[in-house]
Amino acid sequence: MSRLEAKKPSLCESEPLTSERVRAALSVLKGIVTSCYGPSGRLKQLHNGLGGYVRTTSQSWALLSNLSVTHPVLKILTASVQNQAACFGDCGLFTAILCCNLIENVQRLALTPAAVIRLNKHLLSLCTDYLKSEACGCRIPVDFSSSRILLCLVRSILTSKPACMLTRNEIDHISALILRAFLLTIPEHTEEHIILGKTMIVPLKGQRVKDSVVLPGILIEMSEIQFARLLPFKKADVLKVALFGMSLSGDFSDTGEGTVMVSRGVSLENAVLDQLLRLGRQLVSDHVDLVLCQKVIHPSLKQFLSTHRVIAIDRVGGTLMEPLSKVTGTQPIGSLDSVSPNSYGSVKNVCPAQFGFKHFLHLIPNEVSICSLLLCNRNDTAWDELKLTCQTALHVLQSTIKEPWVLLGGGCTETHLAAYIRHKTHTEPESLLSDEGCTQTDLELIAEAFCSALESLAGSLEHDGGETLTDMKYGHCWSVQAGSPAVVSWADLLSQCGCGLHNSQEELSWSFLKSTRHPIAPDTCLPQTATDSAGSLTVDCLTAKLGGLQVAVETANLILDLSYIIEDKN
Amino acid sequence: MAAAGSVKAALQVAEVLETIVSRCMGPEGRQVLCTKPTGEVLLSRDGGRLLQALHLEHPIARVIVACVSSHLKKAGDGAKTFIVLLCHLLRGLHAITDKEKGDLMSENMQTHGKHWKSCCQWKCISQALLTFQTHTLDSIMDQYLSRHFLSIFSSSANERTLCRSSSELLLEAYFCGRVGRNNHKFISQLMCDYFFKCMTCKSGIEIFELMDDYFVELNVGVTGPPVSDSKIIAGLLLHRDFSVYCPADGDIRIVMVTEAIQPPFTTSGSEFFLNSETQFQTSQFWIMERTKAIMKHLNGQNVKLLLSSVKQPNSVVYYAALNGISVVECLSAKEVSLIQRITDLSPFVPQASSQYDISNTALVKFCKPFILRSKRYVHLGLISTCAFIPHCIVLCGPVQGLIEQHENALHGAFKMLRQLHKDLDLSYIRYASDQNDTLSIPVSKNRRENDQLVETGNKSIQRPYQDTVVKDKDDLEKTQTYLKVYSNLVVSDIELEAYIPCSTPELTSEDTFQIDETLRCLSPGEHRIIGDCAPLAEGNSIANSTTENMRTEIFCENLQITKITRKQSMSPVKYNSLDEGTCQSYYSSSIPAGSVLPVGGNFEILLHYYLTKYAKKCQSSEETMVSMLIANALLGIPKILCRYKNGKYSFPHLYLKALHALETNQPVVSSQTGLESVIGKYQLLTSVLQCLIKILTVDLIISIKRQPQKVHHQDSEDEL
Repeated sequence: MSRLEAKKPSLCESEPLTSERVRAALSVLKGIVTSCYGPSGRLKQLHNGLGGYVRTTSQSWALLSNLSVTHPVLKILTASVQNQAACFGDCGLFTAILCCNLIENVQRLALTPAAVIRLNKHLLSLCTDYLKSEACGCRIPVDFSSSRILLCLVRSILTSKPACMLTRNEIDHISALILRAFLLTIPEHTEEHIILGKTMIVPLKGQRVKDSVVLPGILIEMSEIQFARLLPFKKADVLKVALFGMSLSGDFSDTGEGTVMVSRGVSLENAVLDQLLRLGRQLVSDHVDLVLCQKVIHPSLKQFLSTHRVIAIDRVGGTLMEPLSKVTGTQPIGSLDSVSPNSYGSVKNVCPAQFGFKHFLHLIPNEVSICSLLLCNRNDTAWDELKLTCQTALHVLQSTIKEPWVLLGGGCTETHLAAYIRHKTHTEPESLLSDEGCTQTDLELIAEAFCSALESLAGSLEHDGGETLTDMKYGHCWSVQAGSPAVVSWADLLSQCGCGLHNSQEELSWSFLKSTRHPIAPDTCLPQTATDSAGSLTVDCLTAKLGGLQVAVETANLILDLSYIIEDKN
Repeated sequence: MAAAGSVKAALQVAEVLETIVSRCMGPEGRQVLCTKPTGEVLLSRDGGRLLQALHLEHPIARVIVACVSSHLKKAGDGAKTFIVLLCHLLRGLHAITDKEKGDLMSENMQTHGKHWKSCCQWKCISQALLTFQTHTLDSIMDQYLSRHFLSIFSSSANERTLCRSSSELLLEAYFCGRVGRNNHKFISQLMCDYFFKCMTCKSGIEIFELMDDYFVELNVGVTGPPVSDSKIIAGLLLHRDFSVYCPADGDIRIVMVTEAIQPPFTTSGSEFFLNSETQFQTSQFWIMERTKAIMKHLNGQNVKLLLSSVKQPNSVVYYAALNGISVVECLSAKEVSLIQRITDLSPFVPQASSQYDISNTALVKFCKPFILRSKRYVHLGLISTCAFIPHCIVLCGPVQGLIEQHENALHGAFKMLRQLHKDLDLSYIRYASDQNDTLSIPVSKNRRENDQLVETGNKSIQRPYQDTVVKDKDDLEKTQTYLKVYSNLVVSDIELEAYIPCSTPELTSEDTFQIDETLRCLSPGEHRIIGDCAPLAEGNSIANSTTENMRTEIFCENLQITKITRKQSMSPVKYNSLDEGTCQSYYSSSIPAGSVLPVGGNFEILLHYYLTKYAKKCQSSEETMVSMLIANALLGIPKILCRYKNGKYSFPHLYLKALHALETNQPVVSSQTGLESVIGKYQLLTSVLQCLIKILTVDLIISIKRQPQKVHHQDSEDEL
């Protein structure tokens, strides 16, 4: 009999945000995420005392999924950041820092949560409307006829993940590979709906990064012995492929609900094996060159096939089935008897390939929309980080196709947005105060909190004690190294803004981000020549950043709205 | 150990609950974060969920929570108001007993005796509460309050259609109390869009029943994107991927199966003797051929999609792919029945002979995979054969807890709408002797007031009555014909009497026998009303002054609405018992479906007003006491709702304004624009009173410290 235990009463905590415990926890979390942000971000070593290797990372997803947070408020925050990162691919740290900043800034103000939430929402819609509008001064259209902006985008992502441990050359190499892999997933013949293919990332740890390659088609890993037994291929134009989604091991499992009585001397195994061999004969007579099976192939059948110079590969696994059926252009076969000739697929060529210590069978399709990215890095943790980064980059490229815009990176979007909001709330506060119950002072306070949250986000790109400035014309973000002499003019000391669009010789004036300034109207038109001429830009994905901004403000609002926490202690 | 059950103990418990609940109440209410023992977090403002999450130990608290959850099962809303109202009632009771304690103390009674005495007193109070709840409340609702009701339906002569703007107001008010502040407008708009998209002109309550029953199947949650990415999708999303997908254009024929298409090797209960290997092989071969033939046949019948509630064998999927048929497997029973309800599709049973026509097919406009955050769904454009046009809600949110909150709120809203579409029957006894003072004067006087209220209410709350103005003439004519019919019946005066109190819409099909009865037992008071009515009828047929036009028209609508909803299934509404000398009248009436009142404590203030008025006329002190108790407790709710407001919107201001309006027969104008269901409020009040009665009748709480013993239910049949 099961033990019955009375449920313990829950713990009810009132006004959680005012408690010292929560504040301390929030500031610790903020410290962790802030220090990871950006290309010069500090790495974190995650060490689980219960096992697994030590992971070095600076990415939000890896970081937050391994941290064990206990307080419910932090749980909400980390869950929301992780979901955002999983959904949009990038900008997880951005979301986390912005959310923490907002909560922290708003708590200093003595305003009711109702007013804060309402105004935050207005400011958010001001931002999103601006970022989506044609007049936006911090986004660049993506020109798909050249690879420049896309390459910049991939490179920005790679540089912002220092835990991949890549040198400048390696970054160039990998970003070119990622872009190529992405372009290979775009089908050649498109109808009205483009269905993107897939990039399979194949691990190869312990090799040099420069050894990474992109190959069209699929790599099926096999053991060295299998590899050695592979026969030289018949050279034909097209190879016929049979793909089986069922077991060919001769098992007979589904007998229905009744009972089967077998007479003495009748061997079902032989019967099934007979069936299998008949299938083998059919395959041979249909001139099939390659047999792939998701599950196990009976050794006798394998033997039979190999004597007839048919390559048989089994235990392909469920994950490869869908790409395989796409590459060969067929549905997996699910029947032993009467296999229809229509259900064979084809590949252009099959060749054995050896990379490092691994052996593969390389299927080269007629029409490419599936490719394999063979990714190398020196050790496990760096490889994991690089893999995550590649996935992020591919994801970001996909969303850029849907929304062909990129945002300026390097903190410039944030400072520009902050300048825009300051300007808007200063010049036309009426449009934001349409609701009852908020005063102009409330709006100014909240707008200041919002803008300084954005600006300190831009400021947290700087980790080496330097200062962050903003110019008074474009509202971009500039950073100056620590220990620079104060007497020199700014124009000589600064070289380029964060995104690389402007340089310091443009007769600009600067001021510190933290200092109070007059609201300026940031220049909202982007000089076309500037975007074309500038060498290497730092850009971010629009979809991801916009999503991150929305999620950050929504989550902050959610947390600020909490009045009780009921903890179930069972 | 035993503890005395007392009002005081219950009050203490209720007050603790009130402090928690009241902070989440109303438009200014805030969120509560609940953690589950598994570590998941859940956001909520739903009173019922909060109370359950607290895992209360105190026995009285558990009684209260049980009452709340049984109320929620019925009404789907009002848990927070429940606690607040209960707390105020207990507070009132406590104050009363405190006052009387002084008298008891002077008698110098022993403490134990005192306890028993107070228990007796509570028993009496609970009796009084019971009579109040069963009789007085209904009559007050019916006679006084009903004239303030507005309707959510835009009324026209023959049918009722849901009015878009008033349902928006209703939902906004509902979500105000359920969803976080930054999302409630968006969610209520989404919900409103949703059911207006799903509705056809002829759909009524059944559509809300369907949405309530199949809520889980009709929405999809996506974590990650912001809430504002939530959307409505035309068609049905099945929470699974295709087993095989073959693109097809145009209208697609679908069939549904509930068993494996491939014939089984053996069926249950049978034995299959295998005598040779070839026998085995041929039977296998036959099975394959059979499957192949069925799929070919389906293809021949132009079927392009196979929906299956079970997992089909590999071969079925393979042959389906060969024949260009897409397959979706493992549908849940609920999904199957939803599809059946929408398309009237019955499952297809593969038969032995292959030459047959498949009659059970349905058409879909499209069927394609749908990807939401890298998870795949099957998107079906079902062509509906019923009043429901299938649409799905995709709910987005940064965390799962928030999505769940929105799901729960939406589900609750469907429940609430479902309740709103039903009539609620009221029944009460009215004593003939009372009629003199309670009925005659107020009714004849308030009749005009009521008309004004409805009329001005139209203007102030922007209920689309525009169309009624157009129909004014028709309606008026109809009314007149009614009146004529009545006058032809000779007993017209009495009929009119039945006609005039708009709150009790009488059916016109009363036979003369009953009218005779009515005539016989009429008290002098009622004759006076008749006197009042005669000139009215005249005025109607001759003068046609504008105000009266309006009034009769509204009357007429009222009547027709109730007539339609009841479909004459109810017997005549009023009958008098002749047998009893005291001449009681049993009335039964109903709160018509779709009755609403403005939010923000309007219902409570109105009921408070009429209850205090009623209390003044009561003869027995107990009745007066109970009425006053409830009347005062009701005010607690608007007080909490207005707690953050000041100046013009503060509670005292609001209250005085409403009272003034009622005294001078002016329309009560609410500062808030939302609407709420009257039926929900009424059910809430009765549930609270029942809970209070339950608490009051307990005198001793005995706590037992051991495992609950299993009670064996012995069936009487076993013993026989």
